[in-house]
Amino acid sequence: MMLPPGVKQSDFSSALAEFAKAVGGEWVFTSDEDLNLYRDAYSPFLHEAEERVASAAVAPASTEEVQQIVRTANRYGVPLYAISTGKNLGYGGSAPAMSGCVVVDLKRMNRIIEVNEANAFALVEPGVSYFDLYHHIRERKLKVWIDCPDPGWGSVVGNAIDRGGGYTSANYRNHFDSHCGMEVVLPNGELLRTGMGAIPNAKTWQQYKSGCGPWIDGIFSQSNFGIVTKMGFWLMPEPEAYLRCTVTVPRYNDLMPLVETLNYLENARITSGFPDLASPLNGYPPTGQVQLWNESGPPQQTPEHRRVLAGAKVGFSPELEAYGIKSGIPYWELWLSFHGPMEVIDAQWRAAQRRFSTIGGVKFRVVDRMSLPFDPSKTEDYHEPEFGIPSLRAFSIGARTPWNPTPSKGHMWFSPIIPRTGEAIIEANRVFAEAARDLGMPLFRSFAMPACFWERSFIFILATPVTEDPATNKQYRDGFQKLIEVGGQHGWGEYRTAPVFQKSVMDVYSFNNHALQRFHETLKDAIDPNGILSPGRYAIWPKHLRGSQS
Amino acid sequence: MNVRSFTAMLCVLTAPALAQAPTDPHAAGRAVYVKWCAPCHDPGITHPGTNALTVKYKGVKPGVLLEWKDLPASAVKVLVRHGISVMPQFRKTEISDSELDALAQYLSRNSPPG
Repeated sequence: MMLPPGVKQSDFSSALAEFAKAVGGEWVFTSDEDLNLYRDAYSPFLHEAEERVASAAVAPASTEEVQQIVRTANRYGVPLYAISTGKNLGYGGSAPAMSGCVVVDLKRMNRIIEVNEANAFALVEPGVSYFDLYHHIRERKLKVWIDCPDPGWGSVVGNAIDRGGGYTSANYRNHFDSHCGMEVVLPNGELLRTGMGAIPNAKTWQQYKSGCGPWIDGIFSQSNFGIVTKMGFWLMPEPEAYLRCTVTVPRYNDLMPLVETLNYLENARITSGFPDLASPLNGYPPTGQVQLWNESGPPQQTPEHRRVLAGAKVGFSPELEAYGIKSGIPYWELWLSFHGPMEVIDAQWRAAQRRFSTIGGVKFRVVDRMSLPFDPSKTEDYHEPEFGIPSLRAFSIGARTPWNPTPSKGHMWFSPIIPRTGEAIIEANRVFAEAARDLGMPLFRSFAMPACFWERSFIFILATPVTEDPATNKQYRDGFQKLIEVGGQHGWGEYRTAPVFQKSVMDVYSFNNHALQRFHETLKDAIDPNGILSPGRYAIWPKHLRGSQS
Repeated sequence: MNVRSFTAMLCVLTAPALAQAPTDPHAAGRAVYVKWCAPCHDPGITHPGTNALTVKYKGVKPGVLLEWKDLPASAVKVLVRHGISVMPQFRKTEISDSELDALAQYLSRNSPPG
């Protein structure tokens, strides 16, 4: 049996016995067979000694059991690592950030405590998946939408505290921003409620976010300062109607006013649905249609199109632009969606067209104009998460398809945040394409478009495959590290990353001699003096492991 | 035996006496399939597991898992606990051993014992 670093066998055995007393023996896992289930299925260190693996796992069913586990861990100095549903594949899965941790598997804490239709909020435990919450709402015919990421089996709580995103309206797409109130087991086992939840018998825990005094919720995301055991979320009232349209422009330099106008419209809330950018001329799909392309294949290009595309640099050549104009293939395509009463969204679309009409050659098209609720039997042609419907279609990425005869073993996401400008899209493509080519990385081979999950910024979400071949995985890991550094040199940073890259990513956030990292460590030492909670998560190490592990 | 599997067994043992309805021997396995497998393996192009199997077996076997006639229960258990390609393994907090037994029986219902 693997021991946690620095823990004696006798102490570890005593801790495991106390865990079993707290949760029941059948929910403490120590055999190799059981612990294999806690490996990161998409580990970039697959089959290598550096893969991060657990020494044991314990699965509590209640907040009180989590508290008992944490108190026991303190007594024996046993490091814990909390997971929710363990399905954030590509960002660490169910494995710890440091080998030897005991995984605290919160999947059994799967209660949907409340869904309030009248004021559109929910309170859930970390084992609740997007599928669970969606089905709960549908079975009760409640008129609220969830906002979900692509993989629907993820944890509503876990995705939010990993700061994931979704596809409906701007108010809800940022899952951490749309939370309201937390319950947290602190590293000493004490129970904390944030926001209005700090008032005994609180009446507005899920209705007013910040309470009074310092608003501390953020420190429990992408961190190791507590185990979140309940979390509230604001939900979107079911809209009456949906409108989806495209705005296309013909020239390379049209990207700049296209993005600038989008920003105005979104920041002014004239459009609030998921904006989606594509480049038909460069053969790059909108984010929401990647799965459709994986399933049915990308649009076919003529031999002439392929020829002029091959000669383009950073997505441009005069010949490519001329070919697009001649063939009626837009350089850039922006998908806009609107939710609300039909008369409102029709008016919003008219206002949007007026704003875009200053771009010469712009064209508009209404793709869908429908009353809601959405008929779930018609999902095939749609990206379900844009209607708050969870699915697993995104796993067409990497899976075997007619267009991908060689499936991968998984993927790691390279996901830098860049400014919301056309110039930044082009600059990021130039910088990353050059670096990826030099590193032999299968990213940015032609021209890539960013996603618009967040307001005010863009994000690239690019999958780097994990394979069965350690040498290839090493090449991609090394390349990934280098891309992080290159991004940092240009003032760009990742929004989230897998444990194996967390140190490299946090090293980019180095303003004033790593003041942010040092502040995290100050907090860690104060909140978790024994360093038992998720050591190494987002490169925050407890004092006794600082240096040796980091 | 955990509480959930004990409850499930209790239901199996007592349901016929209470309801006098015909029992579905695969109800428990089907429920596991619907919750955990269907989003990837149900029929149709929107299911990446079905697409992957269709391409892999090129008509020799169905792409739809529920149509397989040579899927031993033992193979189901190995695949669920080990994963394959981009399908991850499933933990016992997700699919318990008793639920996996039921799932394996359901998916192998048309296959010779093996």
